[in-house]
Amino acid sequence: MLRWLFERLFQACLVIAAMSIIVFIGVNVIGNPVDILIPPDASQAERLRAIEYLGLDKPLWAQYLDFLRNLFRGDLGTSYVYGAPALGVILQRLPATIELALAAMLMAIVIGIPLGLYAGLRADRWPAKLLMTGSILGFSLPTFWVGLMLIMVFSVQLGWVPASGRGDTAEFLGVQWSFLTRDGLSHLLLPAINLSLFKVSLVMRLTRAGVQEVLPQDYIRYARARGLTEKRVIWVHVLKNIMIPVVTIIGLEFGSLIAFSVVTETIFAWPGMGKLIIDSINVLDRPIIVAYLMLIVLMFVCINLIVDILYAFLDPRVRLSARGTK
Amino acid sequence: MTGHVSLRAEAGPLLAVRNLTTSFQQDGLWTPVLRDISFDIGRSETVAVVGESGSGKSVTAMSIMQLLPRSTSRIEGQILFEGNDLLALPDAEMRKIRGNRIAMIFQESSLNPVYTVGFHMVETLRRHRGFSAAQARKEAVRLLDRVRIPSAASRLDDYAHQFSGGMRQRVMIAIALACKPRLLIADEPTTALDVTIQAQILELIKELQDQDDMSVMFITHDMGVVAEISDRTVVMYHGNAVEEGPTSQIFSSPQAPYTRALLAAVPRLGSMRGLQDPLRFPVVSKKTGLAEPVPASVPTVDPAAKPILEVRNLVTRFDIKGGTFGGLTGRVHAVENVSFDLRPGETLSLVGESGCGKSTTGRSIMRLTQPSSGQIIVEGTEMSALNRNGLRQMRKQVQMIFQDPVASLNARMTIGEAITEPFLAHRMGTRSQARDKAADLLERVGLRADMLNRLPHEFSGGQRQRISLARALILDPKLIVADESVSALDVSVKAQVVNLLLELQERLGLSYLFISHDMAVVERVSHRVAVMYLGEIVEIGPRDRVFSDPQHPYTKKLISAVPISDPERRNIRNGLSNDEIKSPIRPINFVPPQRDYAEVSPGHLVMKDAAVSVGPIKRTRP
Repeated sequence: MLRWLFERLFQACLVIAAMSIIVFIGVNVIGNPVDILIPPDASQAERLRAIEYLGLDKPLWAQYLDFLRNLFRGDLGTSYVYGAPALGVILQRLPATIELALAAMLMAIVIGIPLGLYAGLRADRWPAKLLMTGSILGFSLPTFWVGLMLIMVFSVQLGWVPASGRGDTAEFLGVQWSFLTRDGLSHLLLPAINLSLFKVSLVMRLTRAGVQEVLPQDYIRYARARGLTEKRVIWVHVLKNIMIPVVTIIGLEFGSLIAFSVVTETIFAWPGMGKLIIDSINVLDRPIIVAYLMLIVLMFVCINLIVDILYAFLDPRVRLSARGTK
Repeated sequence: MTGHVSLRAEAGPLLAVRNLTTSFQQDGLWTPVLRDISFDIGRSETVAVVGESGSGKSVTAMSIMQLLPRSTSRIEGQILFEGNDLLALPDAEMRKIRGNRIAMIFQESSLNPVYTVGFHMVETLRRHRGFSAAQARKEAVRLLDRVRIPSAASRLDDYAHQFSGGMRQRVMIAIALACKPRLLIADEPTTALDVTIQAQILELIKELQDQDDMSVMFITHDMGVVAEISDRTVVMYHGNAVEEGPTSQIFSSPQAPYTRALLAAVPRLGSMRGLQDPLRFPVVSKKTGLAEPVPASVPTVDPAAKPILEVRNLVTRFDIKGGTFGGLTGRVHAVENVSFDLRPGETLSLVGESGCGKSTTGRSIMRLTQPSSGQIIVEGTEMSALNRNGLRQMRKQVQMIFQDPVASLNARMTIGEAITEPFLAHRMGTRSQARDKAADLLERVGLRADMLNRLPHEFSGGQRQRISLARALILDPKLIVADESVSALDVSVKAQVVNLLLELQERLGLSYLFISHDMAVVERVSHRVAVMYLGEIVEIGPRDRVFSDPQHPYTKKLISAVPISDPERRNIRNGLSNDEIKSPIRPINFVPPQRDYAEVSPGHLVMKDAAVSVGPIKRTRP
C-alpha cells in the first residue's frame, strides 16, 4: 500500500511538472501584457524599465527557469495588476470558491444519492420516472439561465434570499466563511443550488444505474436468503457497491466545480476565484493566470489521489491489484 | 397448544410442498412457471431436484424461501415447514426463518465482493442468534474450522476473491450452518467447481448433514451428483414435477418419458468399457419415452495414416509482471513440453482441471496465443515456418469452436453473414456460392436453410453451438479444435451436439482435438485421451486403456472424483480432503524438470517419476 502510494505521488509530480510547462508556455504566447499595463503615452525608457522589471526581456526558457525557481519558494510571481504576490491574491479568493463548491457538492450527495436509491429501487413507480425525466432538465438547462431564473423568482419576486455577494462572514481556522452566519448562509443558498443542479442530476442517475446493476447480483439474493432485513440489504450490501463509481465521479466533479464555478460566481457576484480569473484574463495578468492554473492542476491531482485511495478503501479487489500479483 | 403443534410437526415431514403454483407477470399477463408441484422432504433426508435450464428447479427454491419479487410474482398452494404454512407468514416472521431455520447456498460466487467473509458470518450470527460482535467472531472461527478451512482465524478478514472456488463454497456452507438450520437448500452449489473439488464439497455437505441431523434440498442439473448424494429425487420439466421417488428407483426404473430421455442422455463413466470407437448417445423421445436404436460405431481412423497434426515439445509461458517498474516477477508455465499426434478421423481429448493448460494448448495450436517454443506440424508443414499468407491457408485446415456460442457470434450479424464470413474472407468463392454452402451446412448440422436470415438471439444455446459448428465447417477443415464446446449445454442438448460431432466425423472424416473437463463426455467421444496436469501431459493413450487402467495418480484421482450416475455404485467415503488445485505459476529462474514416459501398453504412455504431488487419493471405488 505504501509503495503504491509512493508510485502515485511520483506520477502526480510528473503530471504537475508537465502541466507547469504547458501552462507557462501557453500563457506566454498570447498577447503582450506590456501593451495593456503601460499607458500608450509612456516613454521608450519607461517601457524598457517596465519590461525589465517584469522579466519579459529574458528568453522564454530563462523566464520558465525563473518561474520554477520561484515556484519552489512558494512564489508564483507578482500580479501585474494588484502588485501583490499572485498566490496570495488567489488564496484570498479561494475560500469563497471552496465554500460554494463544497456546499454544491454536499447538496448533490445529500439529495442525489437518496433520490437515486429511490429511483433505482422503485423504478416502475411514477415518482421514479418523474425524477428521471427531471434529471434531464438538470443536465440540459444552461447554468446562467437557471441562475437568472433563481434570482428572479426567489430574490426579486419573493424576496426570500439576497441575490449577490457573500453576506456576513465569520472567521474559522483563520479564514472567513459565509456558512457560519445566518446572513451568509442565505447568500450562499441560491448560488449553491444553481451550481449543484447539474451534479444532483448526475449523482442521482449514477446511483440509480448502480442500484439497477447491483440488485440482480447473486450476493444480494444471497443476503436476502440469509434473512437480513431489507433495510440492511440496501444500506449495507447495495450501497457500498454503488459507492465505487459514485465516489469516483464525485471526486472528479468536485475539481470541475471549483475550476468552472466561473459562471455562477459571475451571476451571483460571488467574490471567488472564478470571478478573479475572468478579470485577470481581461487584463492579461499572466502571473495570476499561471498561478490559478497551477493551483487547479494541483487540486485535480490531489483529488484524483484521494479518489484512488477511497476507491481502494471501498473495493478490496483494487487493493489486491495495487499490491501486484499475489 | 404448543405441545399439539410440536407433536404434529414431529410426525409429518420437515417440509411439505403442496400444489405449489408460481406465476410471473410478463407484459401484464400472469404466466405460470411452476404448475402444481407437490413433494415432501423428510427429516435428515436429502432430496434432489433435478432438471434442465428453465425447468423451474431454482424457482421452486426461491418460492419456498419467498425470495421472488412480490410485484411480479405470485405463489399459490401451501409450503408447510415444521407444520406451519410459510406462505401465510408475515414478512418479518419469514425473515426469521430465512438463513436461520432454512439456510440456502448458491454458486460459490455469491459473497458480496466488498465485504470480508468474516463480515458475512458475523452479520448472519448477530442477526439470528443475537450474539455480540466478539462472540460472533469466535463462533465464525469455529464454523470455518468445521468446514476445514486451513488457519481459519487468520482468513476471517479475507475477501471472497482471495479464496479459491472450493474454499469460497466452504465459506458459504459455514455461513449456512451458522444457525443450525433444519433444512439446507443448495442451488447448484458445485456447478462451477472442478470435479475433484466438487467431490470434496459433496462429501463435506454429507458429513455435516449427518452431524447436524439436517435435511438437504439439492438443486442440480447433474444426474451424477443426484445419484451421489440424494435419497429421493424430484425430476422437473417445463415447470412440472414429472416424477418423484426414491433415487435408486428413478435411476433403475424411470416412469416418466422425460426422465427416461434425460437418463439416456447422461454420459455414464465406465459405460464404454471394452469399446474402441466413440459411441453416440441413444435418443429417447421426451414425449413418449421410447428410444431410437443407437447407430453402431463406424471406425473412422486408419492406423497407418500419416498424422494430420503433430505437436512437438510445445511450450507456452506467460510472463507475470509486477512491482514499481513492471519487472518480471514470475511465469505461468501454462503448457510445458507437450507432444502428441492426431490422425485423420481421430478424436484426441485433452482433459484436466482448471489451470492445467488444456485450453492454452488448443489456443497455441490455433496461434491465438503465441507459443514460446515447440513445433506444430499440420499435414507435414511446420506452422512457424510459414509466412502470413501460408498461415492463412493453414488456418483453413484447422478451425476452432468455443464454449460460449453467445460470445462467439456477433449479435448484430445474421447467422448467414456469420457463417459465410470466413468463406468470403478466404476468397473461396462468390457470395452466392457462400450462401448456398451455408444453407447446405445448416441442414447438415440439423437446422433449416431458411434460418440464414435470423439473428443469433433467436436461437437456443444448443442451436447456436450448431451454428458455430457450421461456421467452422464452411472452410472444409480437416481438424476442429473444440474447446469446452459442449460444457455449457444442458444434458439432452449436449447429447445431441455430441451425436452431431460424431456423425460429422463419420461422414467427413474430421479430426477433433476435444478439450474438456467432463470425463464422462470425453469417454464417450474420444479415440485417445491425454490427461494434463499443471501444463504437462501426465498420461496419454487409447481411451479404453486410460479409463479402464489409469496409471498416473492424477488420472486415478480425476476419474475417481467423477460422480457416477448410478446410485447403486456410490463412492465409499473415507475421510475428507481439502486439497486445492495447484497453480502453474513458477519463479523466473524455474527450470522445468526433464520428463520420461513409460509405455505401459501400445500407445499408452505414462509420465515416470510420479513424485509430482497430486495429493492423497482419498476415494476408491469398489
